[in-house]
Amino acid sequence: MSDSGTANTPKPSSSVKLVLLGEAAVGKSSLVLRFVNNDFQENKEPTIGAAFLTQKCSLPTRTIKFEIWDTAGQERFASLAPMYYRNAQAALVVYDVTKPSSLTKAKHWVAELQRQASPGIVIALVGNKLDLTNDGGGETQADAERDSGVEGDDTLQNQEEQDDNTRGDARKVSTREASTYAEEEGLLFFETSAKTGLNVVDVFTAIANAIPESSLKSGRAAGAGTGQTTLGGGRSADDSRVNLGDRGSATAKEGCAC
Amino acid sequence: MESLTNTQWDVTISGTGIPQSLLALSLSRSGKKILHVDKNAYYGGPEAALSLQEAHEWASKVNEETAHLPFEDATISSSLDKPGSGLSSSRAYTLSLSPQLIYSRSQLLPTLVASKVYRQLEFQAVGSWWIYKPTSGGDKDLYRVPSSREDVFTDDLISMKSKRTLMRFLRHLQQHLKQESAEEDKPAIEDEDLDKPLSEYLTSKFHVPPELYDPLLSLSLSQTPPQATVAKYAVPRIQRHLASIGVFGPGFGSVLVKWGGGSEISQVGCRALAVGGGVYVLNAGVESLEHDNQNDEYSRIQLRLSSGEKITTKFVVGSNWDLPAQAQSPCTHDKVSRSITIVSSSLESLFPVTAEGGPTPAGAVVIFPAASLGLTNELPPIYISVHSSETAECPSGQSVLYGSVNLPGQQGQSLIECAIDKLLQSSAGPDVNILWSLRYTQLGRAVRGDTSPANDVSGNLIRFPPPSLDLAFDDSVIDLVKDAWTIIMGDDASPDNFMKFDDRESYDDED
Repeated sequence: MSDSGTANTPKPSSSVKLVLLGEAAVGKSSLVLRFVNNDFQENKEPTIGAAFLTQKCSLPTRTIKFEIWDTAGQERFASLAPMYYRNAQAALVVYDVTKPSSLTKAKHWVAELQRQASPGIVIALVGNKLDLTNDGGGETQADAERDSGVEGDDTLQNQEEQDDNTRGDARKVSTREASTYAEEEGLLFFETSAKTGLNVVDVFTAIANAIPESSLKSGRAAGAGTGQTTLGGGRSADDSRVNLGDRGSATAKEGCAC
Repeated sequence: MESLTNTQWDVTISGTGIPQSLLALSLSRSGKKILHVDKNAYYGGPEAALSLQEAHEWASKVNEETAHLPFEDATISSSLDKPGSGLSSSRAYTLSLSPQLIYSRSQLLPTLVASKVYRQLEFQAVGSWWIYKPTSGGDKDLYRVPSSREDVFTDDLISMKSKRTLMRFLRHLQQHLKQESAEEDKPAIEDEDLDKPLSEYLTSKFHVPPELYDPLLSLSLSQTPPQATVAKYAVPRIQRHLASIGVFGPGFGSVLVKWGGGSEISQVGCRALAVGGGVYVLNAGVESLEHDNQNDEYSRIQLRLSSGEKITTKFVVGSNWDLPAQAQSPCTHDKVSRSITIVSSSLESLFPVTAEGGPTPAGAVVIFPAASLGLTNELPPIYISVHSSETAECPSGQSVLYGSVNLPGQQGQSLIECAIDKLLQSSAGPDVNILWSLRYTQLGRAVRGDTSPANDVSGNLIRFPPPSLDLAFDDSVIDLVKDAWTIIMGDDASPDNFMKFDDRESYDDED
């Protein structure tokens, strides 16, 4: 998934700001941890404030470097998220397939993104904790209860509602309900398990593929039809970027050394 | 869940302008309990960057609640009602209320690098400085200011004789630069002639001919009329301009931050503190402030927030516009006229690549000496900062013109308007349209060069001075933040640790 390292001629590389949103304890940080480190922690501490991570995703024609902003689901004053989804090119809105209220919250986030975020933002709706359902494969009821322990009160409620479900299946949000909604709103849709890793990389790859080429390039085609003298030959899409890491060096271009 | 009221806060920061946000960054790993509030619904305070819709709301607020913000007299005119005007949707724009360019030698950049937040910012080059210099033909009225030796040699407007004197002046500055780096403590230039206006200084010391006054003045970004701009102020600033060229790449000496400038810097500062556990509340101003013990200004402070909550805190930090009247610091401010204009042209000719291998500039500075507009030279020059769509402040095919003149009110606005007309006549096709514009008066602190601003500190209440009205980032802000940080950190403050952090995550720096 990450760089395969065969690049004789480097592929163009672009950064994509991605923000994770969703109710507390749906597994936002765990999804990122799986994607970035291919790791999973049971009983992970709640995220405080927010965290920032990066990960590359190599596509056939280009490399996407995700700059991932993982926000705290418990953020009480709704004052942080605007800072994160500003200028974001992609958003991952996460809910818990065993907790219907988390889908309601996810829908609120989608509405807020559509109202406030960059007009071209790519939004993926992700139902996490698929390992707790029969679709996730190989989990026992005991595991399911342990894993959803973070939810506290909801566990009890879940058990009561469990009667409606196949034994051993904690699913409370049907795939069809969520996918229908995603389709109506024009969202990418996945069900994942951060615990087993199921579909996690697929989500990020799908987002990378869905980012329009135009939003990766600079708004203006370099030197096109302007009578502007383009010195130094071919330029990458990122040719207006100044790299502070390159202090004093002669080339200020990024995206050529990846 | 924690409640604001039940926490004993160490620090309450009010307002999310640049100084407050840099302070947030500096305290982001202090382990202190920090509450950061802003009465506005957006981040960035006077440096905010707004969509069209937000700009409309902002303008109403400025006019309805005077003294609420360091701005006055905001008016918007829009071609939106004209069908097919070409104005895009509100969120296609990110308009900066206080655009500032950042010189490569500014202390801000090493601060952003040492604190590691530079990774979250995208920097772009400000390329050319242009001077309006009407010619009889009228087809080439903007003259590119030569700002390096190479530029001077290739310039075809300056006479050979002028070139020689200019080179001598530039050499003089460069020698001082070398001396300065050799002996840090010694002032760069010591010379009694420095109290003269720049033009007199240039003539008496270097025999620089009058045709070069305006180009050299423009490099200083001086906002006062030519005769009021003394060499002591202008020469170090010209020096800064020249010394900054090439630091981060060939052909440019200053940068701007993509997606709205200062607003982005504010937000990375706030994000850093949020990651460090700081609590953020927008739409919550400080309504009243009193000390636990009325006779002890070092006692804990009780704050009432506009959200109704009462909290106690050890320190309170903010600017006058973020504090209740009783806690404000007595100070005067200067006023300038500013405007933001969206035009239907990419104005490509203003953004040439300025050196081989250099980046495509996203910004340009155009200076209109009052005399070039047929006015008296007793008036200050008009500056137009042009931002291309590369900055993501507007859609492609358009650009944003930030006008500024050190003259408040209608007179200032008409000067800017006149300058924008001339700029469009000389750089855009005949069918160019002004799609939208916002005019306002901005309050703040003029940078004079001889005095450094200081925080107003009384006990545990720290007040930042009014925001700088300079067109370039004012490095004294870093000192103000450091002073506040030193007070708050007390015995734990070790000057060498200010803003120096390790990456929170590992990076392969091959990117």
